[in-house]
Amino acid sequence: MKLENLPGSSIPLLALICRFALATIFFYAGIEKIINPGDFAVAIYNYQLLPDCAINLSAIFLPWLEVLIAVSLVAGIYTRGAALISALLFLTFATALTINLVRGLDISCGCFGAASGNINWFYPARDLSLFCMSVFVLIYDRGWRYFFV
Amino acid sequence: MTQNNFSQKLYPAFRESIIILAVALFIAVVFNSFRSNNIPLFGFSSAALIKEQQAKIPSITLSEAHDLYLKNKVIFIDARDPFSFEEGHIAGAINIYPDEVLLHAASLKTKADQGFLFVTYCDGPQCPLSKETAHALILRGIPTVKVLVNGWSIWLKSGYPVSKGKK
Repeated sequence: MKLENLPGSSIPLLALICRFALATIFFYAGIEKIINPGDFAVAIYNYQLLPDCAINLSAIFLPWLEVLIAVSLVAGIYTRGAALISALLFLTFATALTINLVRGLDISCGCFGAASGNINWFYPARDLSLFCMSVFVLIYDRGWRYFFV
Repeated sequence: MTQNNFSQKLYPAFRESIIILAVALFIAVVFNSFRSNNIPLFGFSSAALIKEQQAKIPSITLSEAHDLYLKNKVIFIDARDPFSFEEGHIAGAINIYPDEVLLHAASLKTKADQGFLFVTYCDGPQCPLSKETAHALILRGIPTVKVLVNGWSIWLKSGYPVSKGKK
């Protein structure tokens, strides 16, 4: 195995850095939520966007999806699929946050487990930046093979 | 990047994302069924949660509320319907039905920052409106709320100041 294409075009390297950044965020967020699903279900309920029947399922499913996205992004397996879900998730989060900020609800973000801070306009802005990073990875990521042979 | 090139990347991404979603769902459901602090897949009850959250809202006694009223440190919120409010209410109270909290949230927040305590009341020991309005206030970032249980009746019976009309 040897290093290839370094130094070369900075775009695939930037995509790799974005992959790692997204993976770190998703892994941390996922693990925090897996620890206490009951509290996360309440955080989801507080957004007042989902019917009761979908709340627990989301609280169980979403953290594992985040962990799996993190693993995919780091391992370079199904990276584009992970980046696509990541982009859609961040878009959904930003929309949910914006709706509740407009509604004037003062609720916990729930972004990194139930102990996260209360929502403000920084949160949707952050999610939109992460959405852009995910789209960047989706388009420009070249996988590990670009760097190693 | 051409349209064709982008589509070529997007179709495999869809396929891959479906696989990731399926695997995540499988792991999540299996893990949840084996863990000790698991939750039922579809058993969330918002009604029970609201009841639990409302039960945690502290109440205030009539004498405490009256003391604060005399010191001008309290704002009474009448959670009853507008007709009952017009027929008679605690002097200086504002009429806020649970659904109307959003309309008043900004001005009430300013008052809360000035150190005012909010006391919600309705009529009857089982009346839910005072707790619902208090709960809605807390959800909108106004935590200094207490409930005067059976507030209107006990205030009236004690002969404390009341008003009639819209204000």
